[in-house]
Amino acid sequence: MNYRLNAVKAISRRKIFETFITPGFYIALSVSLLLGYFLINGFINSIDSSGLNYGLNPVYELIAKSLSGAFGDTFVIKLFSEGPFLFALYIAYIPFLLYLTISSVFKFGFEKKVGAIELLVYGPSDGTSYFLASLVKDIVFTFVFLGAVLVFFWITAIVNNMVLGPEFFYSCIVILFLSLAFFSYGIISSVVTDSAVSGIALFLGISIFFIILQMGSFAIISGYVTNLSNVLAWIVKWVSPLFYWHLALSSIGYGNGGVFVVNLFLLLLLSIVILVISHLVLKARGVRV
Amino acid sequence: MIQTEGLTKKYGDFTAVDNVDLSIPAGEIYGFLGPNGAGKTSTIMMLLGITSPTAGRIELFGEEYTSGRLDLRRRIGVVPEKHPVGMWSWMTAGEYLSFFADIFGLKNPGKRIEDLLTQVKLIGVANKRISEFSRGMLQKLSIVRALLHDPDILFLDEPISGLDPIGIKQVRDLIIAENREGRTIFISSHLLSEMEKICHRVAIIFNGKLLAEDSMDVLLLKLARDREIDIDLEEVPDGLAEEIEKLDFVNSVSVTETTIAVKVPKEGDYRKDISRFLIKKELIPLQFKEKSISLEEAFVTITQDNVKLLAGVGGKA
Repeated sequence: MNYRLNAVKAISRRKIFETFITPGFYIALSVSLLLGYFLINGFINSIDSSGLNYGLNPVYELIAKSLSGAFGDTFVIKLFSEGPFLFALYIAYIPFLLYLTISSVFKFGFEKKVGAIELLVYGPSDGTSYFLASLVKDIVFTFVFLGAVLVFFWITAIVNNMVLGPEFFYSCIVILFLSLAFFSYGIISSVVTDSAVSGIALFLGISIFFIILQMGSFAIISGYVTNLSNVLAWIVKWVSPLFYWHLALSSIGYGNGGVFVVNLFLLLLLSIVILVISHLVLKARGVRV
Repeated sequence: MIQTEGLTKKYGDFTAVDNVDLSIPAGEIYGFLGPNGAGKTSTIMMLLGITSPTAGRIELFGEEYTSGRLDLRRRIGVVPEKHPVGMWSWMTAGEYLSFFADIFGLKNPGKRIEDLLTQVKLIGVANKRISEFSRGMLQKLSIVRALLHDPDILFLDEPISGLDPIGIKQVRDLIIAENREGRTIFISSHLLSEMEKICHRVAIIFNGKLLAEDSMDVLLLKLARDREIDIDLEEVPDGLAEEIEKLDFVNSVSVTETTIAVKVPKEGDYRKDISRFLIKKELIPLQFKEKSISLEEAFVTITQDNVKLLAGVGGKA
């Protein structure tokens, strides 16, 4: 019997059940779907006889201007080329991703503090079994989220006489791999810190840094930011999930399936590297605070 | 069953466990004693594979043990001092045990759970939520959890700490019953009087060093400086204590009402000599009682004056 695999199965089953019976999951999913709904509704209200007119909806006007400033006009045009669903998908995804990752980091810190992880690893399991179980739970709920979003958006599309384009479906696949990378960063944040709060702070710090870096790379091109080191940005981008996400998204736009698959693979590789480092750190530090 | 050689754990410059050699044979109730901060928990964490030793080696069931040996870890049952606060409180006792049975990969654990809950008299609350359990009930549930997979050795960390007298008796009886079934029991505690009642062998750790490891009787005998004989008389005449004290084998004498406590060297039996002396004085001893040193007294002796005393008792200083 593979003891670790068995422990991962047992602990993840329990975690999945626990998540299903807590209101947090339903609140996060509702917030995500509501955000998606408002964005789709806003898009529909921004359409006039000449097509999409951001000016018709103040919220959309603000969003479009902000995104153009951060990522460039081409990005915005691409984002809305299939209608509102791609944009709504990513915006709906953010609160759910934050809920899943932050709740997992919090639980890791809390359960480590009260000795629950220690109790679990007294048996034929170890700290790695615990975080892998947590990862399995998060992946399962990412599938649940994508399933719910697909059904909800599909119904919305039918009702409003629109269609979900191929980029939407490709993006769902990217989201799975992107989530895996963020979950891995959540795990390493938990492993290297001693409390739930410091774990969450580290994870948010890393995520914000990657976002700034991603936006900064556009800003440099636009000449807005001069004090951000190009060299530093070049180095750090290789460990940023957003870098591969952006490349994968761009490759869909260009119709380059090979680049798309390579970037998914690189996201997977990045996640594995982070998980291996987490395993080694946890082995050295142990599960006791 | 468990053997350690030169087990050492350092945290920076601080040495929590210093070159400890343990030897725990199968079938024993082994007490691992020491005050708080002596290095008990650090040693146990290494034995359980939760932390790695800085130096030294651990042999478990005759095999080299490292933290990655999940197969060996499966043969251990552990009862921590406290149930993790706020954890799994929404589960019933049955669900909680099923969850752990699942981690151990037990097939159809229902019967085993039922039997163990019956044994500890918790079967009536199998469907009650853990949040409603008292400290004693949680401790018993914890023992059941640790026994689910029928481990070869059971580790208990302060198993009776914080329990009421009834809880203490129940847990003590359970430990003895498990040992009678052939299970090796390793108990870490600072409650010496309780350990004295159940342990076959004890090890005393202090400031990270193992000061003694021996069977309870041998350890107590070796650590006693004197043997105390309490003699009950009808009445104690004036000056008798002083006269007894003059006997060449007597170290000291004290009198409490009708009882004379005579301290003699621990080697040799002086009861006959004392009887003869009393009869010569026309006093009839009503009762002779030999008072042995308690584990608590032994512990104080060993920790305060260990180096000289332990030179010849098989312990390590």
